[in-house]
Amino acid sequence: MASSRDIKNRIKSIGNTKKITRAMEMVAAVKMRKAVAAALKTRTYANLSWLTVLNLSRAGNGNHQILHRLLTPRKEIKKVGIILITSNRGLCGGFNTAIINKVYESIKKYQSMGEQAVIEAEFVLIGKKGVAIHQRGHKIMADFPKLDLASEVKEVVPVANLVIHEYLNGQYDKVLVAYTDFISSAKQIPRVKQILPIEIEQADEYLGIVGQDSRLGIDKEFIQDKEEKHLPSGKFNYEYVFEPSPAEVLNELLPRLIEIQLYQALLESNASEHSARLAAMHQATQAAGDMVGELTLSFNKARQAGITAEIAEISAGANALL
Amino acid sequence: MSDNYIKFEIVTPERVVLKEEISQITVPTKMGEITVLPNHIPLVSSLLPGVIHAKKKNGQDEIMSISGGFLEVLKDKVVILADTAERAEELDLAKVEEAHRRAAELKEKARRGENIDFTEVNAAIERELARTKAIKRWRKIKNLE
Repeated sequence: MASSRDIKNRIKSIGNTKKITRAMEMVAAVKMRKAVAAALKTRTYANLSWLTVLNLSRAGNGNHQILHRLLTPRKEIKKVGIILITSNRGLCGGFNTAIINKVYESIKKYQSMGEQAVIEAEFVLIGKKGVAIHQRGHKIMADFPKLDLASEVKEVVPVANLVIHEYLNGQYDKVLVAYTDFISSAKQIPRVKQILPIEIEQADEYLGIVGQDSRLGIDKEFIQDKEEKHLPSGKFNYEYVFEPSPAEVLNELLPRLIEIQLYQALLESNASEHSARLAAMHQATQAAGDMVGELTLSFNKARQAGITAEIAEISAGANALL
Repeated sequence: MSDNYIKFEIVTPERVVLKEEISQITVPTKMGEITVLPNHIPLVSSLLPGVIHAKKKNGQDEIMSISGGFLEVLKDKVVILADTAERAEELDLAKVEEAHRRAAELKEKARRGENIDFTEVNAAIERELARTKAIKRWRKIKNLE
């Protein structure tokens, strides 16, 4: 049995760990609140800009012309660019493992589905922990630093520019973004979503959960209204006027849309990260509390055993004297 | 009389700036300033930094500054996707002028070859100018009333 002094030391050190995890829990809670608020604010804009592009591309289909290169899917997919959004720091439970596993799985699925034997995947990282993907034998193309709390669209502009450029010059035939969708503070889902080419037919998937449900009080009635009135059963029923010209407007609008989608993904990831950390730290604090309880019990037992042993010795000594 | 009003919404990535029924709106597009009235033909246009002037359903004027974005006109709806936008009521002239002065200073520095992003500074100057204009227009309207 461990001596009572050893146990006392352990109790002390676990108590300290508990203090730290509790502090981290509180920090995570504050950051989470901010991150969630930021993620919610962008949703209206993301939805409206998506619908505008939707309208535009339908206008194009009506005229049997393809309006923009970013909107046309490629026939042959050889190389896929994946933007992987992870956290900068650990101690957030299975957050990073979950997203990396998800990416790995979806690459495998792709490869088993496609006719071509090998589809190459290259990664653009946002956040430090994404490097782990390298150990699984994937190439990393770029690594962008990430702030803990994203506040401006500006932060994702370089990433967006890079992938658009690589897509247009034929490096990538498809660009995906892997991020963790924030459902609620107790639930986050890793997701892999296509951002290039912008495919119109599967709008819902690309917007992810953004605006799809009212779980967080999203103001979506306007958007729904718009969809019903102006996009009846997917048919486009009037002509658009573009000023200055369709190409120019789309040239500006589409990159903007991609930026916004990336930004939204980043915000969702941040919100998820902080709530994952909150949960992990909460558990750690509780586990530390339990452990202190157990150790205190064995400490008391050891103490009692010591006392009993001492009494036994004394009375044995006294008996010997008699 | 519902035909004479348009549903209007202006959003930025950060928030919904305004959501109202309006009877007309004037916006600075790349092709020049245009006014959208009810039953306008569907239109998509990119916007320049400047002042947006809307007439609300109740007859009041609403002045907003915008630093660029997109305008989408639908049958009975107008949507503006702005990079940044503020209502003139929310703006503080002293602060805006201060920001404008700082941006101008930065521009000077950039011209002298310091390592500052020139286009970004220019965009900031235009944004602050648009805000100043919006405030002045707002004050003018208020005084006339």
